Amino acid sequence: MIEHAGHLPGLDAQALRWRHTSHAAWGESVTLALPELDEAQATALCESVRNNARARLKRMETARIVDAIDAANARLLDRKHPLRRKAEHLLPIVTGYDRETVRLGLTSYLKTFRRPQLLRFLAEDFANPAVLDGFQPTAKGGFLRAHGPELLLHVWAGNVPALSLWSLVCGLLVKAGSIGKLASAEPLTAGWFANLIAEIDPEIGQCLAIVWWKGGEEAGEAPFLKAADTVMAYGSNTTLTALRAKLPITTRFLPHGHKIGFGMVGHEALDSRKATALARLAAHDVARYEQQGCYSPQMLFVERGGRVSPAEFARYVAQELTAIAHRHPRRELAAAESAAIAGWRSTQATRAMGGAAELIGEPSDPWSVVHVETPEDLSPTGLNRTLKLVAVESLDEVPALVAPYRNFLQTAGIAASPKRLFQLGEELAEIGVTRIAPLGRMTAPEAGWHHDGRFSLLDLVTVTEIEQSTEAASEGFAPYVD
Amino acid sequence: MKFRDRAILVTGASRGIGAAIAKAFAAEGGLVVVNYRTNAEAAEAVATECRALGGEALPIAADVTSAEAVAAMAEQIGQEIGRLDVVVNNAFAPYRFDPDNRARFWEIPWESYSQQFEGAVKAAYTVSRAMLPLLQRRSGASIVNVASDLVTRPSIPYHDYTTAKAALVGFSRNLAAELGPLGIRVNCVAPGLVYPTDASAATKEEVREMLIAQTPLRRLATPADVAGPVLFLASDWAGFVTGQTLHVDGGLVMA
Repeated sequence: MIEHAGHLPGLDAQALRWRHTSHAAWGESVTLALPELDEAQATALCESVRNNARARLKRMETARIVDAIDAANARLLDRKHPLRRKAEHLLPIVTGYDRETVRLGLTSYLKTFRRPQLLRFLAEDFANPAVLDGFQPTAKGGFLRAHGPELLLHVWAGNVPALSLWSLVCGLLVKAGSIGKLASAEPLTAGWFANLIAEIDPEIGQCLAIVWWKGGEEAGEAPFLKAADTVMAYGSNTTLTALRAKLPITTRFLPHGHKIGFGMVGHEALDSRKATALARLAAHDVARYEQQGCYSPQMLFVERGGRVSPAEFARYVAQELTAIAHRHPRRELAAAESAAIAGWRSTQATRAMGGAAELIGEPSDPWSVVHVETPEDLSPTGLNRTLKLVAVESLDEVPALVAPYRNFLQTAGIAASPKRLFQLGEELAEIGVTRIAPLGRMTAPEAGWHHDGRFSLLDLVTVTEIEQSTEAASEGFAPYVD
Repeated sequence: MKFRDRAILVTGASRGIGAAIAKAFAAEGGLVVVNYRTNAEAAEAVATECRALGGEALPIAADVTSAEAVAAMAEQIGQEIGRLDVVVNNAFAPYRFDPDNRARFWEIPWESYSQQFEGAVKAAYTVSRAMLPLLQRRSGASIVNVASDLVTRPSIPYHDYTTAKAALVGFSRNLAAELGPLGIRVNCVAPGLVYPTDASAATKEEVREMLIAQTPLRRLATPADVAGPVLFLASDWAGFVTGQTLHVDGGLVMA
């Protein structure tokens, strides 16, 4: 079976070149066909998406778009729907994540795009979401109208299932003609979603395309980079730097680079009863999506002074990772990924020899936990369930340990009393942390969150103001003027 | 070779059930710490047999009710082996299983109970606590405590001995609940009358025949019979089993 990726309204599938890629995991394999558009096809597609967005999407009420997204989501949430079944079958093979992780992950993620959440999402960024549909009076006087770009290009990265839907939905909500470039590691969900939208509301489907080109390949990407008004891109800083260099100066660039998540556990959370439950939640955050997400924790800072010591907590987390691996086996790693873990482990093992660290578990375990008793700066691990726990005398030490990595900060998981949560929150906000979540929810941002601390919808729009005096002046030219 | 590269501590391993357990681990490639209290010669003989069976052996003398002696043993294991995967708490306070001359309840001083508690519970407590840091170094560690089927079915009321073994079962269940979140399993093996051992030498033929008659498998346990279930509980075949008591008595007790 060959699964064709993408959504290419107006293009003849027969006339396209398709690049076939093979994926195998969990004893099954699948061949995907990814569209490779030539320059003329790409240019035509950009043109048609832009024109359709201008003629149709821009003239629709936001409510209609919300309804279409909600309906598409309802189908993907319906476990009996053929597309949902296909997603549950193919995504584990393509991404390597186990079936349960994919199934549970899809549901918990997709349900943040239901109608009520979409409305909240709009309300989160716009005091009056009606500015997307027409001029609205503002508090200072005058009127305001917001427009999304005519052509928004998404450049996706990574293998977390369905992650692309986040920015795709943002684009649609601000009525942007949207073209998404699939990530080679998860090139399916965005296309399926776009096809569903097209099926539910064909007019919206015309304003949306999902494409693919080989990353960095000049010929494939040039027409898209030239045509887009705004580019929202994901990836490493190297990739993003290269991409930015190719964009015209007038193009808005909204990059989302790699991030490192971390957790903080206060002594008040480390009593005999709470500690084991918390260890489970922490292990869950580590195991979910194999730390491939920007929000995944790579380090936990654990405070001394609780009944359960940081060293003991490290063991609880290790055992929870063992238990989780039975239910959610780690995906098969590529050679480079195994090498990254082996490299990280051997560095830790060397330190352990000197007594500076304690390495828990065997190289054959599908996880690695290391625990150190002396404070150290935030640092990336080997990913794929590798975690470092750092004992600290007080959580107050942590902001200084993570501050040097400001550009890589995003999510901090905190287990501490309400008073300390807000104290630490103040300090973390100051050094660039943009999201604070409880342990266990680090990899599941709530609906309407502010990705990398930005206003996801507001960042996409341009507002047009009719100043109060303009309105007053126009009165002088009214036909009813006395 | 189920226990190749694994280190196993068997307490009271110089004779009887302990010796049989030590040899069974050795036959599966294990490195066995043959703990004993006084009989160095017997322990050395067990160690020699262990090596002949394809395993490794390290005899260490230690009174398992003495925290100092056990700490020294843990220190030595840490130094010489550097790891520990299994602890079998087999040693117990000296006891004579003599149905004809057993003391009846009103004849038993509290000191006898106390001595049995020391031998069963305090020994398991002392050894488990001292070995815990070593057990935590590796994943998949486990503890097996040797109890008795008399806890469930006091065929002959050996009050002090059996009450202490009952306490050991309770101790093991609590330990299983505590150490589960750390990945360490704790189980018990509960043999019926094991014959021949030094302790059971005084059990008369008539009593043995009485037990055999009520045992579905129609014989008494041998030391080697006990070893198999101990190895099973210590192995990853029992990787999802903790807090359990496995009766090894030919079906005399079914629970």
